[in-house]
Amino acid sequence: MNDLTPARAVAADAGTPAAKIRLLCAEKTFQVRGQDIEALHPTDLDIRPHEFMALVGPSGCGKSTILNMMAGLMRPTAGEVLYDGQPVTGPNRRVGYMTQKDTLLPWRTTKDNIRIALELKSHATPRAEAEDRVRQMIELVGLKGFENHTPAELSGGMRKRAAMARTLIYEPETLLMDEPFGALDSQLKLLMLDQLQCLTQHRRMSVVFVTHDLGEAITLSDRIVVLSARPGRIRAIHDVKLERPRDVFKVRFTPAFSEQHERLWDELKDDIIKGTDV
Amino acid sequence: MAPPATQSAVVGTGATRLPGAVGSGSGPQSSLERFFATSAGRVGARLLLIALILLAWEYAPVARATRFWMSSPSAILGTLWDWLFDGTIWAHLESTLLVMSEGYVVGCVAGVGIGFLLGFFSRLSRVLAPLLAGFYALPKIALAPLFVILLGVDNSSKIALVAVTVFFLVLTSTIDGVREVDRNTVNALALMGATRTEIIRKVLIWAALPWIFTGMRLAVRYAFTTTLLAELIAANRGLGFLIELNSGNFNTTGAYAAIVVVIICSVLLTELLSRLESRMSHWVS
Ligand SMILES: Nc1ncnc2c1ncn2[C@@H]1O[C@H](COP(=O)(O)OP(=O)(O)O)[C@@H](O)[C@H]1O
Ligand SMILES: [Mg+2]
Repeated sequence: MNDLTPARAVAADAGTPAAKIRLLCAEKTFQVRGQDIEALHPTDLDIRPHEFMALVGPSGCGKSTILNMMAGLMRPTAGEVLYDGQPVTGPNRRVGYMTQKDTLLPWRTTKDNIRIALELKSHATPRAEAEDRVRQMIELVGLKGFENHTPAELSGGMRKRAAMARTLIYEPETLLMDEPFGALDSQLKLLMLDQLQCLTQHRRMSVVFVTHDLGEAITLSDRIVVLSARPGRIRAIHDVKLERPRDVFKVRFTPAFSEQHERLWDELKDDIIKGTDV
Repeated sequence: MAPPATQSAVVGTGATRLPGAVGSGSGPQSSLERFFATSAGRVGARLLLIALILLAWEYAPVARATRFWMSSPSAILGTLWDWLFDGTIWAHLESTLLVMSEGYVVGCVAGVGIGFLLGFFSRLSRVLAPLLAGFYALPKIALAPLFVILLGVDNSSKIALVAVTVFFLVLTSTIDGVREVDRNTVNALALMGATRTEIIRKVLIWAALPWIFTGMRLAVRYAFTTTLLAELIAANRGLGFLIELNSGNFNTTGAYAAIVVVIICSVLLTELLSRLESRMSHWVS
């Protein structure tokens, strides 16, 4: 506990900008059949308010674990996770979390799945307004014509988009997204990136975004955290110096983008090759 | 040397005859096969089989004593005919169906209700789990005499027995349904700010429904069987009682007639259930 005190003192210091989410020596070890699996090495990380941060790294390096801890669905084995300076001890209701595997309700249609947050007391919305916002969301993620389909009748990419709409509709102040666009083809992915950028910039959300796709990370992020293979630890943090607003369709062709991509790739390639055991 | 030779000859003729038979006799044989493949053909074959069995049963040349024990279709039909018009069947059938359905409804309501309660309050269910497991494993029919002592020989003792049987089936499937709910889905709702009640209303109940239906479907057959068994053990009305009464009087014809009624009932029940199931599966899945 002692070694945490200086870090806390820094957080409390008025001079530094307060972190939205802060990992303090957070580590996670899983017990699998009596064996300890260290998923995340003790890690310090700050997510600044209104920042778009990407996490990249090989499979199994603890990216999902980090998001789960930020959402309060997992406790770190040691260390602490703070949200707005408060320790996260249970489900963190300030974040919207789009998990790697979607959790759409199989008995609800697309439209009813997307609306679900607005049915809750915590986001109570008059029926007509809710319908309106659902319609906007469906249009935004390009699911028009599939409002009345159940998740089983949607493709993998459509389910991801429905899950995204369900998370975005109640406009959480912080967004955690775990490989949200993995199943999308590249055209659709660009459209989705564009929508996501618009929305998060406009609402000034803080975002932690896990991805495999370096291009995606550079296009959207303010900072990119590169994690090393298991046990995950932070290898580097890259600032993305592309000015906003970015044109997601064109930014990939700029020299600054290529240069950033190259630097990231150099950082990652050894680990990617090591980490392909999964 | 002779046996192997004949054997090989037999195999040889068999091998040569087989393709020949298919080739030459294919006309009539395949048309008969085709006839049995149609639903009319299948029903026809079935009726034919039943008719053969009934004829054999009716006209088998057996001793008088044997005839007494095995009765005959015409006598059974005659008894059924009498019962149909003197109201015997209806009174007993009504009693059986009443016991079965009342017990079923009570068991289902209690099973679903308490199942949800135990599913939601996992600490409570952990305390009760061994007790429930013990009761679940107990063949409920063993309780029949006890219920007769406690509640009398009338319907209430049998309703209680059916209710208990159904209750445990529905209870366990409800608890399993609530338990098997995907944790991630519950977490997702919790992060959105759902209260405990909202999670129960919007996720747990719906997720448990298919499990509950499975338990309820299984319980229908159990309810019927348990009702009959209870009536066989101690009763003054019902189809089980009718079998027991006639057997007790060495009226084999009457016993067979009652069994025929039971068979008709269970066939109708099965038919009804599969109709319901096919309709249900549309909106469950
Ligand atoms: N619930 C769990 N139980 C046991 N091991 C787990 C669990 N969740 C993750 N792990 C392990 O922890 C490591 C990191 O997992 P994860 O955070 O999902 O990686 P990533 O998202 O970067 O692919 C992996 O080796 C994985 O097998
Ligand atoms: Mg992951």
